[in-house]
Amino acid sequence: MRIPALLFLALLPLSAQDAGVTRADWPHYGGTQFSWRYSALDQINTSNVKNLLPAWIFQTGDYTEYLGSTPIVADGVMYLISASARVFALDAAKGTVIWQYRYPTPRAGIAGSHSDFIQNRGVAVSDGKVIFGTRDNFLVALDQKTGKELWKVSVDDPKQCGCNNLAAPLIVKDKVIVGGNGGDQAHRGYLTAFYTKTGRLAWRWYVVPGPGEKGNETWKGDSWRYGGGAPWLTGSFDPDLNLVYWGTGNAAADFYDTDRVTAGASKTRDVNLYTASVVALDADTGKLRWHFQEVPDDQWDYDSSYEVLLMDRQIKGQMRKILVHMNKSGLTFVLDRATGEFISSFNVPELSNWISGVTEDGKLVGRNEPEMGKTKNFCPSTAGAKSWNSTAYSPRTGFLYVPAMELCMDITPNDTKATEGRFYMNGDFPTRLPPNRSTYSHVDAWDPITGKKIWSVPYKYVLLASMLATGGDLVFTGDPEGNFFALDARTGDKLWSFQTGAGHRGASISYSVNGRQYIAVTTGFQQTVVGSAVIGLFPEESFRAGSTLVVFALPEASR
Amino acid sequence: MKLGSLLLAATAFAAAQNLPDVLKQGEAVFSKSCATGYCHGARGTNGGAPRLAGRGFDQAFIANTVQQGIPSTAMPAFGATLSRADLTAVVAYVASLNGVTNPVITVSGAPPGPSIARLTGDAARGRNLFSDSVRSFGRCSTCHEIGGIGIPVATPIGKVPADTAALKALSTPQVSTVTLGGESMPALIVSKKANTVVFYDLTSAPPVLRTESPSSVQTGEGSTWRHSSVIGSYNEAELSAILSYLRAVVKP
Repeated sequence: MRIPALLFLALLPLSAQDAGVTRADWPHYGGTQFSWRYSALDQINTSNVKNLLPAWIFQTGDYTEYLGSTPIVADGVMYLISASARVFALDAAKGTVIWQYRYPTPRAGIAGSHSDFIQNRGVAVSDGKVIFGTRDNFLVALDQKTGKELWKVSVDDPKQCGCNNLAAPLIVKDKVIVGGNGGDQAHRGYLTAFYTKTGRLAWRWYVVPGPGEKGNETWKGDSWRYGGGAPWLTGSFDPDLNLVYWGTGNAAADFYDTDRVTAGASKTRDVNLYTASVVALDADTGKLRWHFQEVPDDQWDYDSSYEVLLMDRQIKGQMRKILVHMNKSGLTFVLDRATGEFISSFNVPELSNWISGVTEDGKLVGRNEPEMGKTKNFCPSTAGAKSWNSTAYSPRTGFLYVPAMELCMDITPNDTKATEGRFYMNGDFPTRLPPNRSTYSHVDAWDPITGKKIWSVPYKYVLLASMLATGGDLVFTGDPEGNFFALDARTGDKLWSFQTGAGHRGASISYSVNGRQYIAVTTGFQQTVVGSAVIGLFPEESFRAGSTLVVFALPEASR
Repeated sequence: MKLGSLLLAATAFAAAQNLPDVLKQGEAVFSKSCATGYCHGARGTNGGAPRLAGRGFDQAFIANTVQQGIPSTAMPAFGATLSRADLTAVVAYVASLNGVTNPVITVSGAPPGPSIARLTGDAARGRNLFSDSVRSFGRCSTCHEIGGIGIPVATPIGKVPADTAALKALSTPQVSTVTLGGESMPALIVSKKANTVVFYDLTSAPPVLRTESPSSVQTGEGSTWRHSSVIGSYNEAELSAILSYLRAVVKP
């Protein structure tokens, strides 16, 4: 049954509604700390989106890689960071530069580690500061008014850990929380909270528990030391429950578990805690309140580090505080966010051969694992049924909008021993196009409560940009060929498209200044990591790099 | 001194003298630095980055690219991060993937320095303790850099304390007191200019590099901060091992 939107809105408590939606500003990476990527603005809607035109364009001048960050907008000012950490404050109505800052080129870290990948996924803005992570693993705070550096603190030593922090930091009250890359190296992941005012350490929580801590017994021998689990994206926050939610990365080594899992151990749940899990931490202390492991003994790199959407929904006649979380495998979990209790799950990709299913209480069955001495084909690939680009959720439709991919991989494991900070995936995993298909991705609308796919729009190549949903019942995203387009949120009908000139691997946001609604999108396709893997799959195309922000609005006359 | 790479080189020198050994070493370097999943893949054939095997590259081209990198791409310059021996080995290995049957394997460059690999007993243990990641911010390398490992907050260690008692009693005249917004904090002043005062706030680990305007801060000589208060994660035997390590690598 399709619930009429108005009735649906009436059922939602006001608090969740307010916590999830953005209006004039786009204050956080995921829109709000509920991570919906939903703007309530409706000036641009299904009937007039066809008139959308560029209002201004901003070129960062940083063309070493791509523009993948999510801009922040506060009080008519946009804060944007480029791949090699040039930060700009722009007049959000005109695109003129208010101030700019350039982070010095860092020293080389460990060859082949994350320090080689030039990227940044966004700044956080709070407490009069613009805060971002760096390739050499500092967290830096600039003065929001002037762009001058205020504080800078080392999160870890990249020359030792092979790790850094390039996700957008999460603001939680008086703190800023960052995870880190590094799960592909021999590394033990953690979340770290610093005070926004001073840059001083507030707390650190290790994903992999140390000796004497609960959960350490789920690791074989000393394997916890380099057990991975790095939470490399941005979490969410529920101020009412005072809980921070984060997805954690896969166990390390990735494709070979003999050194970390005791032979014969049950893999039903809680193997190598707290990797490939959703965790809820006390926002003040960083203490673990609950966990739900999605991929026990992850041997496929299906890490769970993706965004966590918080929402309140009717389930079996009861209003529940839930979270919706998709991991790389495309398996999407609905959990009670107060307790971590499993409610339901659904599987997004059409191609999935690593398990045969999920039980009614959330356990994986029919595991199909990599095997030493063999090359086996698995779907999805390590690029994910979705990459790190985010989904969006509209409270008007109640749907989750997913940029899903249909890619596979050949895993050949090896048994390389851990050396701290050095590459530690223990396997080869080239991405493969599945046979007998002409399209390799699709934008889907899912009802997270029923687990039903409402509509699906196929796309020839792969979609690697975040989704945006708006109060005008529109869904926006871009493709690697450079098209930025709007779909009808209820039907998936394509209503508008614009060729921006370079591929999309970033995000779009919506905001307003003086009553005029804008849609901003970052363009420029990633040339490394997942981007390069995809480029290699479609040699006939050139998915162009670049670093340009394109901002759209309705012509003054037509709105 | 780039201690780290010299030390690596020293190990490599001992190990690699003939072609099969060099190629084996090259493959090992390749698998840790180049084959990494998102880059060239095993044997240079399977990754996201361009294929390296069977491309007809000659050794000089490979050597140049590996050392210099390719600007504006993810291909880094390994000249600064790999030892001479590892560079030679990995270049020879990639050459072998391109059908070069007799690649040059002579290592040129600086002779090996003092070997960390040769550190034994307490000194070797001390090296690991110095940057022990299990101690999080409670490790020496939170503020000290040696051989490319650690964050250089403090000036390079020039003199090694005689024993653990001296280490604990270490005087730190550089640490002063900064008062900012009514709060006094131990600080290591980095620079004082007309427009900015830059200092490390040592209130808690890790130190925070802060930039303030001269009008908002007051600085005073001396501090109640003590080095002994930040080495509490180590016991007596561990501190002693760390001193052995420092004696082995710090040249006055």
